[in-house]
Amino acid sequence: MNTFDAVVIGAGVLGAATAFELARTGMSVLVLERGAPNREGSGTTAGNLHIQAVHTRRPGQEVPLDSEGLLPAQKAADTLWAEAEHRLEADLEVRRNGGFMVAETPEQREELYTKHVWEQRAGLNTELLDGDTARAALPLLGPTVTAATWCPHDGYANPLKAAPAYLAAANRLGTRIKAFTPVTGLERRGSGWRVYTPDGHHDAPVVINTAGPWISEVCALAGVDLRMAPVAIQMHVTARERPVLHHLVQHIGEGLSVKQVTAGNLLVGGGWPALGMNLQGRSTASVESLAGNMAQATRVLPFLAGLRLLRMWAGPLAATPDEMPVIGPVPGQAGLYVAGGTYAFTFAPLWGETLSRMVRGEPTRIDVSSFAPDRLTATCGSTDRTTSAHTEKGTAPC
Amino acid sequence: MTTKTGPPTVHTAQAAVVGAGPAGLAAALELARGGLDVLLLDEQPEPGGQYYRRPGPEVLRTAGDHRPEGANLISRVRESGVRLLTGHTVWGVDDDRRTLLAVDPDGTPVQVRADWIVAATGAYERSVPFPGWQLPGVVTPGLAQHMSAEGVRLGRRTVVAGSGPFLLPVACALLERGVRVVAVAEAGRPYAPGVAALGALRFPSRLVELASYFARLTRHGVRVHQDTVVAEAHGGDHVESATLVRFSDPGRVVARHEVDVLCVGYGFRPQSDLPQLFGCSMERDPVTGDTVPRLTPVGRSSVPHVYVVGEAAGVAGAPTAVARGRAAALDILAGCGRVPDHRTRRAAAVRMASLTRFTRLTSALYPSPADLVTALTRELPGHTLVCRCECVTADTLREAASAPGGSDVPAIKGDTRAGMGLCQARECGPALEALRTGGAGTGTVPARVPLRPLPVTAVLGFSDSSREDS
Amino acid sequence: MADAAPRVPVTLDGRRVLVRSGTSVAAALLEQGHWNFRVNRVSGQGRGPYCGMGVCLECEVTVNERTHVRACLERVCEGMRIGTGTAEEEGT
Repeated sequence: MNTFDAVVIGAGVLGAATAFELARTGMSVLVLERGAPNREGSGTTAGNLHIQAVHTRRPGQEVPLDSEGLLPAQKAADTLWAEAEHRLEADLEVRRNGGFMVAETPEQREELYTKHVWEQRAGLNTELLDGDTARAALPLLGPTVTAATWCPHDGYANPLKAAPAYLAAANRLGTRIKAFTPVTGLERRGSGWRVYTPDGHHDAPVVINTAGPWISEVCALAGVDLRMAPVAIQMHVTARERPVLHHLVQHIGEGLSVKQVTAGNLLVGGGWPALGMNLQGRSTASVESLAGNMAQATRVLPFLAGLRLLRMWAGPLAATPDEMPVIGPVPGQAGLYVAGGTYAFTFAPLWGETLSRMVRGEPTRIDVSSFAPDRLTATCGSTDRTTSAHTEKGTAPC
Repeated sequence: MTTKTGPPTVHTAQAAVVGAGPAGLAAALELARGGLDVLLLDEQPEPGGQYYRRPGPEVLRTAGDHRPEGANLISRVRESGVRLLTGHTVWGVDDDRRTLLAVDPDGTPVQVRADWIVAATGAYERSVPFPGWQLPGVVTPGLAQHMSAEGVRLGRRTVVAGSGPFLLPVACALLERGVRVVAVAEAGRPYAPGVAALGALRFPSRLVELASYFARLTRHGVRVHQDTVVAEAHGGDHVESATLVRFSDPGRVVARHEVDVLCVGYGFRPQSDLPQLFGCSMERDPVTGDTVPRLTPVGRSSVPHVYVVGEAAGVAGAPTAVARGRAAALDILAGCGRVPDHRTRRAAAVRMASLTRFTRLTSALYPSPADLVTALTRELPGHTLVCRCECVTADTLREAASAPGGSDVPAIKGDTRAGMGLCQARECGPALEALRTGGAGTGTVPARVPLRPLPVTAVLGFSDSSREDS
Repeated sequence: MADAAPRVPVTLDGRRVLVRSGTSVAAALLEQGHWNFRVNRVSGQGRGPYCGMGVCLECEVTVNERTHVRACLERVCEGMRIGTGTAEEEGT
């Protein structure tokens, strides 16, 4: 069969969730993946469920997030993660035990107060704590912590389980998944699209581009310049430890996230830059980032200094110039949709549902118009292309 | 746990040799003779590597020294001016792709900067999982060898199994300590006279050595089964017995022996992750299935200042390791204008060529490790713990390998946690690679940083503030 | 022959024992017939030394309050306190 109701490009967590949501409505779906499913951004991410407002996404980030503008989506994502395991009939190791966001300096405390006001305004339940109260609640916190917000909705899930579970559930609903099958061309055919691969082509009225680091390259195949660029960041994990940390711990002013996964390992991240991005092989983690990330992690959570580092790894994420997510129809390209950018893991269930509703012309759960791709697009050749990563040949180097 | 966060100790040298086994010792000695300032690092408390590993002198006095040539080489290295850093675990390479990162015995971070790097990181035993291999009492032949050399009688009854020439001396070492070796099981048929075996005639000393092991085994009534592998180890808290089956017909039980120690190993795998961290170009050896660096005949990698010598360059035995270490050192000396005597270099090249021929002939006697691992893994019962750290069964892995849409080795790992434990797939790696049904994607387990589990405190010294201090 | 070797006292899991001087901690324990070095956290089963060369990490023990010491790479010395039977996460 060469004709589908929708072709999803990219089998990361966004593509997997979208395929599942489309398949649930009875659509025939094909997922094309250039490499192995869940490999790059989705397979190397921390798996945090960011529900409370966040300010800094990663060290070296040039533009701050519109944190307040992100809150409705975070609230909606929380609702959907609460039911994800039930809907997928799978254990994703979802832990919604709440999280702390800590501050150390006076400026960081100010930022905590500010974001706490936004959270109250958005109806998100968070609590502002001084340092001692935070330490009473989480005695593992170190002495440099002078304030924290507590959000009972924060959490994490296992990123190595989420996308595979979505794909398996989609597969049970008839979705076809072709791994190691890069998309080499996107061509308008009547009212729909023809999607080319080395194994042949597929036709569908709807094409959804959730290609993560390759999102701009896939757009370029349709003649669309989407101003996003991949950035490689890294993660660190300790050997197993008995259960000691039940919450997500983040930092308001610096890239830091720490949690203990179900298996017992402590996962330390925060968007520290990798040494090298390699989209054809494996990205390389940096020792300087490792040391920097662990230095702040052991300051905020001193017990980490007694553990052993087991492994580190790096992977790409797709960044937008304004550091906000992107989701919606590509202007002037009927039937072509994109989704990606900031907190793709947290938003995967929400963006999957949102895309599915958009495709069927139904109202979406939240207003996503401010995340629409038109702010990032131009027809190829008409704008400065320096920020885009696509190749001159116009084919994805998959 | 100590929680030191001091700045790293910084060592500089003209050449840094990682690994003080036969190859590293030989390379360090030659470099020092050539006038270079040489650092030699090893994670063990004493130099010697695995082949020349030496217990304390009081043990040697009573248990005997089975490789006195190692003592000789080590003492020459000590006298040569080589700076020896034992107990130093090299765990990575800094972002400059030049500086070695290590941790000393006290847990203090160490940086080593050198113009030339010689990776002599050796090999470790190739394991193929089987039901019960995680039981205490099931060990590699290498462990049996080391413990016997330390004078330990490892148990009362044992079977030595696997493949390769190493099984014979291990069985003899166990006998010498008073362990009853009830059988040696070799997966191949190397000890039947055949075309391949005749090649060994050109190396009569090797034949004499093999014959002497055989004579000792025969004298002790040890049965050497060929075409035979361990199918299962049985026991509760400790190994109690082992079932041996035909390798070519796994349904056929050869014997079931009561044992309290079971030694199983399928030869050695190059420990080649350090060259990978330097960005050296790697390739898969089709015969062994191992990932090895692409090297010139004298061991220079694709990164010009990084040489790989000894077993890390491809397993070939201690004499070859020594020859490779010397050849690389001579090339480095030539590279820094200290041209060694032409005849010395030529003699080294001839010796290498001769040893290479011998290695090829010897390995031709035994089944190809890649084929062995594939065949043995295919037969594994579903309940076998393939990943012994994370306790992942063959069933779970096979299911992951057949995920909708396709899978590869990293995907199987991610899906199951296999290879994510303390040993980081060093024991289950070959089986993980073999369990993948083929197809596209990544077929190998890549090198991981750190190369050993590392105290978090050992990396804190490398953060910005410490860098400025140093 | 092994009996002629000098012996030193160490403490093994709180019990005083005499071991041969100059061997590895792994050798000292195995000579005592002590094979359970640690507990695998997933299965809860005991594990003993496997590779003998620092790769498998199955022989990790506690030595003088230092956790995760590979017994195969550590030499015994007089008065050493050796602890076994802990899981990998214990020690903080």
